[in-house]
Amino acid sequence: MSNIITVKNLTKKYGDKTTVKGISFTVKEGEVFGILGPNGAGKTTTLEMIEALRPIDGGSVILDGLDVQKKPSEVKKIIGIQLQSTAFFDKLTLKEQLRMFNSLYDSQSDPDVLLAEVQLTEKSKSYVENLSGGQRQRFSIAAALVNQPRVLFLDEPTTGLDPQARRNLWELIQQIKEKGITVVLTTHYMDEAELLCDRIAIMDNGKIMTINTPENLVKELISRGFKKKQRVEQANLEDVFIDLTGKDLRD
Amino acid sequence: MKFNTRYFRTIGALTSAYTRRFFRDKTGLFFTFLFPLLFLFIFGYLNSGNTSLNFDVAVINSSDSAFAEQFEKQLRENDTFTVSDAATTFDEAKERMGRSELDTIIELPAGFGDINEKGQPSGSIVVYYAEASPQSGQTVAAVMEQALDGINTELGQPTPPLTVEQKPTSVSGLSAFDYVFSGLLGFTVLSLGIFGLANQFPAEKKTGALRRLRASPISAAQLVFANMLYYMLIGIISLVLMVLVALYVFDFNMRGDWFQLGVVAIISIILMFGFGLAIGGWAKNETQSAALTQIVALPMMFLSGIFFPRFLMPDWLQSVTAFLPLTPVIDGMRMIMTEAKTLIDIAPQLGLIAIWIIVIYAIAIRVFRWD
Repeated sequence: MSNIITVKNLTKKYGDKTTVKGISFTVKEGEVFGILGPNGAGKTTTLEMIEALRPIDGGSVILDGLDVQKKPSEVKKIIGIQLQSTAFFDKLTLKEQLRMFNSLYDSQSDPDVLLAEVQLTEKSKSYVENLSGGQRQRFSIAAALVNQPRVLFLDEPTTGLDPQARRNLWELIQQIKEKGITVVLTTHYMDEAELLCDRIAIMDNGKIMTINTPENLVKELISRGFKKKQRVEQANLEDVFIDLTGKDLRD
Repeated sequence: MKFNTRYFRTIGALTSAYTRRFFRDKTGLFFTFLFPLLFLFIFGYLNSGNTSLNFDVAVINSSDSAFAEQFEKQLRENDTFTVSDAATTFDEAKERMGRSELDTIIELPAGFGDINEKGQPSGSIVVYYAEASPQSGQTVAAVMEQALDGINTELGQPTPPLTVEQKPTSVSGLSAFDYVFSGLLGFTVLSLGIFGLANQFPAEKKTGALRRLRASPISAAQLVFANMLYYMLIGIISLVLMVLVALYVFDFNMRGDWFQLGVVAIISIILMFGFGLAIGGWAKNETQSAALTQIVALPMMFLSGIFFPRFLMPDWLQSVTAFLPLTPVIDGMRMIMTEAKTLIDIAPQLGLIAIWIIVIYAIAIRVFRWD
């Protein structure tokens, strides 16, 4: 697999403070790449520099052969972005929003098909402000797909969602991956990273601590002699919750 | 940057999205369209002397006949008229009419009331009225005719010896409503341009809607053009509504060219939109923009001649306020509407507007922030 994103010595400074300290990594075409880390680790800043939304203070990002610093608008044409705070215009129906995004990207996606993909067909005439949290996240993914992007960026897509909506979004992300779209996401949930991501970068204090597949990361830790308190349980509380409330999506 | 059809199609799509949202926002609609109309009604009724049944007149009696003296005395006793003695000569009275202090001038010319060859009083009364308000002239003349008709009937002549003549007088001044109306149009352009965008952009920054647009390949210029078209559209609708009310409710008398007024209105909207753009583009949140909007808009509101005429200000203040951005807007519109001036005549005003446009857009481009 070839690399679709190559990040080299990427740096971001705010005054005296360096929030992203010369990080380097690559994302392979077609994989789901996760960036994990505590709040303030620099995940969102890193993502926004790659997305050409924030000026790069040092280093470089090459996305599908394009230098992000030199050709920001070319880059924006081939990526889909779902921002952390999902924001859309109010008083515009979902279908109208998608039509508007179509013309912003000069693309010809069918709004109905996109809405069907994210299970929002019956909401096509609703306003965004009347959607639930999960529906809103799904819609923002639909909006990020209008230009049939090569890479989809998702910034904490499941934060604040109920367990059903999270599971539903995981399925959606897996479907997107199956279509061959590269996905780069940030998350605070380890189970989510383990389930979705092919490879994971763990960030802290503006630096990447490690990059590997989830399995290898766990193996590495064990090989260093780590032992977790043995508590073999057949189920956890979330399993109880899903068992009682079902997997069906609530909106 | 390629200026192809795609570039403009994107602008058009964004404009249409903004417009659609606007017409779905009932509160916004109310404040945008009805608020200026409300102002128009309030100030229109306060300033239109035509709606009252009482006329302020000056009586210039140049006749020395006993009949004329008697007639003047009757006029003074008539409840329909308030005879002002402030002006004793015709020129003085005309000046006062120019300032809307008088509605008409009634002249009893020399020889009025003299006894003719049939032994009866004869002559013609002249009612002078300001061109801008023919209604008052007509009404006063009608009342005069009625009074004279009574005498004529008594005299029983086939051709009435006593008649009334009406003479429109072009006075340099304006009717009170005309003055207020151009100011109110200016007020609408000002509030729409400045308050509109200065609120909208910070709100979109807060929700992140602007950020989402920025994530797409759209350029800042496209965003600005789309908004400008959108504000121009609602601005024109609002101004047309006001003009319709002025014409049909307040008998506004348009003396200039509608097309040229439209040109000034559009240029003015572009200018005021620039102020909104600079404030809204710079401000990170609504608190910042609200404060700055007040600082920018209030001086214009009170010193550019919206609520009271600049010619009543002391000279030094007049010369300072002449350079406020809203002053040439209001003056330009007023000169076209009430003095039938053309775009060439108001070149100084247009020039000042152009300078302000260059200045404010240069500032707006520098201070614009996406978030």
